[in-house]
Amino acid sequence: METETGVLPVPSGRLTSIQALRDYRDRVCARPAAEKTVRVCMDTACRAGGGEEIMRAFERELERRGLGGSVAVRATGCHGFCARGPVVALDPEGVFYQMVEPGDVSEIVARTIVRGEVVTHLTYHDAEGSPCLRQPDIPFFSGQKRVVLRNCGTIDPTDIDAYIARGGYEALAKALGTMSPREVLETVRASGLRGRGGGGFSTGVKWEFAAAQRSEKKYVICNADEGDPGAFMDRGLLEGDTHAVIEGMLIGAFAMGADEGFVYCRAEYPGAIKHLRIALAQGEARGLIGEHILGSDFSFSLHIKEGAGAFVCGEETALMASIEGRRGMPRTRPPFPAVSGLWGRPTNINNVETWANVPPIITNGAEWYRTIGTQNSPGTKVFSLAGKLNNTGLVEVPMGATLRELIFDIGGGITRNRRFKAVQMGGPSGGCLSEQHLDLPVDYDSLRDAGAIMGSGGVIVMDETTCMVDLARFFVNFTQAESCGKCTPCRLGTKRMLEILTRITNGEGTMDDLDRLEKLAHTIKATSLCGLGQTAPNPVLSTLKYFRQEYEDHILEKHCSACQCEGLVKAPCSHTCPAGVDTSSYLALVAAGQFKEAMAVHMERNPLPSICGRVCHHPCESMCKRSELDDAVSVAAVKRFMGDIAPSTESVRPRPPDQVKRVAVVGSGPAGLSCAYQLALAGFPVTVFEALPVSGGMLAVGLPAFRMPKDVVAREIEAIVDLGVEIRLGVALGRDFSLDSLLADGYEAVFLALGTQVSSPLGVANDDAPGVLPGMDFLRDVNLDNGASVGDRVVVVGGGSVAMDAARCALRLQAMDGRQRDVTLVYRRSREEMPAYEWEIVEGDEEGLRFEYLAAPARVVLGDDGRVSGLECVRMELGEPDEGGRRRPRPLPGTEFVVPCDTIIPAIGLSLDMSWSSGELETSPRGTIVADRFDFQTSHPKVFAGGDAVRGPSTLIEAIGDGQRAAFAIEDALTGARVREDYLRTIQEARKVPRAVPLDRLEEDVERVTTQHLPADSRVMSFAEVVQTITAEQARCEAGRCLRCDLEH
Amino acid sequence: MPRRVLTPERGLEGLGREVAALDLAPLAQIVAERYASSGDLIPVLQGAQRHYGYLPDEVVTEIARLTGLPASRLFGVITFYAQFSTVPRGRHKVCVCQGTACHVRGGHGVLRAVESELGVKPGTTSDDLEYTLETAACLGACSLAPVMTIDGRYFGKLTGHKVTAALGQIVGDGEESDGD
Repeated sequence: METETGVLPVPSGRLTSIQALRDYRDRVCARPAAEKTVRVCMDTACRAGGGEEIMRAFERELERRGLGGSVAVRATGCHGFCARGPVVALDPEGVFYQMVEPGDVSEIVARTIVRGEVVTHLTYHDAEGSPCLRQPDIPFFSGQKRVVLRNCGTIDPTDIDAYIARGGYEALAKALGTMSPREVLETVRASGLRGRGGGGFSTGVKWEFAAAQRSEKKYVICNADEGDPGAFMDRGLLEGDTHAVIEGMLIGAFAMGADEGFVYCRAEYPGAIKHLRIALAQGEARGLIGEHILGSDFSFSLHIKEGAGAFVCGEETALMASIEGRRGMPRTRPPFPAVSGLWGRPTNINNVETWANVPPIITNGAEWYRTIGTQNSPGTKVFSLAGKLNNTGLVEVPMGATLRELIFDIGGGITRNRRFKAVQMGGPSGGCLSEQHLDLPVDYDSLRDAGAIMGSGGVIVMDETTCMVDLARFFVNFTQAESCGKCTPCRLGTKRMLEILTRITNGEGTMDDLDRLEKLAHTIKATSLCGLGQTAPNPVLSTLKYFRQEYEDHILEKHCSACQCEGLVKAPCSHTCPAGVDTSSYLALVAAGQFKEAMAVHMERNPLPSICGRVCHHPCESMCKRSELDDAVSVAAVKRFMGDIAPSTESVRPRPPDQVKRVAVVGSGPAGLSCAYQLALAGFPVTVFEALPVSGGMLAVGLPAFRMPKDVVAREIEAIVDLGVEIRLGVALGRDFSLDSLLADGYEAVFLALGTQVSSPLGVANDDAPGVLPGMDFLRDVNLDNGASVGDRVVVVGGGSVAMDAARCALRLQAMDGRQRDVTLVYRRSREEMPAYEWEIVEGDEEGLRFEYLAAPARVVLGDDGRVSGLECVRMELGEPDEGGRRRPRPLPGTEFVVPCDTIIPAIGLSLDMSWSSGELETSPRGTIVADRFDFQTSHPKVFAGGDAVRGPSTLIEAIGDGQRAAFAIEDALTGARVREDYLRTIQEARKVPRAVPLDRLEEDVERVTTQHLPADSRVMSFAEVVQTITAEQARCEAGRCLRCDLEH
Repeated sequence: MPRRVLTPERGLEGLGREVAALDLAPLAQIVAERYASSGDLIPVLQGAQRHYGYLPDEVVTEIARLTGLPASRLFGVITFYAQFSTVPRGRHKVCVCQGTACHVRGGHGVLRAVESELGVKPGTTSDDLEYTLETAACLGACSLAPVMTIDGRYFGKLTGHKVTAALGQIVGDGEESDGD
């Protein structure tokens, strides 16, 4: 780029000695530098965002202000922070601007360059929202160590002088001037550098093989055929610091005695090829490539070969065939290329990044290199971060950094705050790793042990919306298309694997297919000719290993949890709903004003619309495609409206019991109610046994009335009773009846829908003293009007919904007595880790709840009367993450403090009461009942179980879904048919509710509905419901926002 | 957008015109500049394709004659590599990335949108030789996923609207030149 305005002419021509290179560097450095420099990234991503326009805008604006002489504008290679492109950095201040538009340029010049101010709206803002003024302040950069990428984003890669000024070609000078080829080999070998193309073979050893060959002709090759989908490290490096790669090749050629080299670059990288050609021409002009380099006996010529589009050419023998002008098909090894390579001559092939590692190793020595990285994998690794994470881009970290550091610290975590699911390492040859590997220190050996490979360094992050079966199919589709066809296992095997995977993603797979896949995969791995075939099964094997459940779901349940497999998913909202409610259909009916018909659709699979409209965590909304446009449809608000105005009893046609076999359901919570409802509609006489004096389980006694009014619960249960379901209250399993007595009484099947209602104790001294009220007991007493009361100063321990509900009940009890509100919530982690929903935390905060984060109870302090007088807590810090990925809190000794209080409500966990059991059912180590995931059968053939009893504390809609599917399984077990399930599927598949909102009006700006809340000060004076139901007009409008994904099929 | 569908007859006429107008003279220079040994076959084919847009039989036969290589060897190489085409390609080349990052970020939807906008399937060219639609295993701009290129220019973070807007540039262009 013609930006240097050097007054002193720099002599052109060949540099004929090492001294000439050094003199030349001195002269380049002595050129009068501009006072300030604007570095504009010109890499692909930033250029696609308008980098060139920004560059021109800077040049124009500086010219206009007469600053052209004192401010240089430099086009650089990739800065790495591609997600935030186009990026611009300003020196000497080091100010870093992101997502710059050409229109911002005049402000940058006026404020930053002229006045020295920072334009904060263009800086990166960290998680706390504070601007990061300089590049090193940004977490994305501060976590990196840039050895290979040291010049990327700093220098103009098309200017050899810029490279020389930064010490470029000094390593070559050192090798030629002070080292023998032997010493160079020794240094590279001692550094422990391993091949960055993925295999991880020792570079020094590989070089020695080629060096040991006696031949008057040897070649070195740079493999720049970066074909892995999802990898762009080599492109970034070739485009951003081209000379570093060439210098590495020169040093390697000198060490091995080669005099000719090739860079084989894929045709899809025109930018890299362009920069290579420029660098080659400049290197030749300076005498750094050619005859008698720097006056030595070493001569080297370099050629650039453009690939022609074949992934297999990344394999070294295929690559050489391609350079020779033949079809790029691999051959068997040995002979290895070091013995017989290009045109039968000894040849050494290394990847782009490997070559770029060589100059710093020669300059700084092997010892220095070994201080970076791990024992067996020294140095750094460049990764391209892509997929569902916030900071996609090019990063470099020391070997041994963990995946968590890569993905969460540098990568900024998952987009839209979704949940991390998997990371694919190493492209089509690599594997998928799961959450359990997040703390794996990444190096060649750890990745191979885990079932992935380093590969060239592509890291694709996936969240819950990526289907792992579909991903395996994607990779196999790729490898089968790229298989050269020379060997049978790869040519036919990958095709067969693709057929099986396609079958599974279409919902037509069988469980036998899984065994067949595994067998095929092992055969292909063991018997293929080259690396392509030998590694092609890795994505299949690793997903089978870590995500087998998803395969089983596709086969047995026709369910794709990521809602990606088009053959299975009609609309993602409905598909993701554990109860399978036909969401888009009832939304369309509400939009059309047909509320009763809408309700009938809902009641097919879920008899509790008003309840779910209030307290379901609505997974349907998290999968809503409208969220790609603006915000998800508020399914919950619409559902609540619908449930509140259209009486549910009128929506269901009761069916007289026509089955003779009777079923008992134990527990009247959501799982029990849902099961009883479906069984009744399937014609079975059902009796529900409930230990409490009210029905509804957690709905009635676990949720406070300000979230879940009791009349709403009663109304929806009433509708179920109207279908002929009998509910017996006040009868407890173990006390009034047993499993055996139920079966002896003639019930042919029993469904256990026991809730987790036992609060875990605090587990510290005096945790049963008077004044300690277990969370669930407290909520139950509040809900049943059992005279629940709290003292003047209350501490609630825990961070989940039960803790939030208990705390907000305590606030109301105090306020309704006319007392000061004084409730503190103690939680051992920080707010970010709190399992309670964000809105709960906000509402609690509005109501005056105090939060004490990073504190854990150490001891209950007793007063003279033996009652609670305080809670001694200890400060915590967050340490290493646990298996679930949340950072584990650690106590800080000596930081104990006492929160004075008279009431302590522990809400730190719930468990299942199994005191009724005499061991007749198999239980899990967590104390829950073991039941089959698909047919809900326990170890007793007539006893079924679902909901919390099997899952442990879970969600409302999971319980409803379990109850429903258990009912289908029970019908199957008792009659040998699934009439109810088949009926529902048939009507759901056949239904096509027309659009209420015409397509052309759909994309008008209609914002997601906001619900009305009672004001915080008045709502704590009663248990009245906080959130209000939306109006009919709002409901129709909101339902009309649905994009109707269901109609696309 | 409905695409003009050409009848096979008109399409063939179009092709006939192209072939008849084929001037093989420039090949001599391409071969002279690029060819020293059989290792240079691929650069020669790349040069010829750059010049003619594709590699018709006449061109391949002429290269074989000029280089002395058997035509069968040339066809072997041409059919192996994805870059080479033996059928004419469109004036505008649209390439939709189907790499991993694009896949997990909805690249399939982008491909479908482009297909319906242009009315061509991947790997094919519109009958009026305006557009060729291709897919790539990875365009190497994963941080912009989903991505496509139009005549080599990158368009990233695509949505339905952005696809339409990007294609609008070349589609409008094509319509105008259709007036003659």
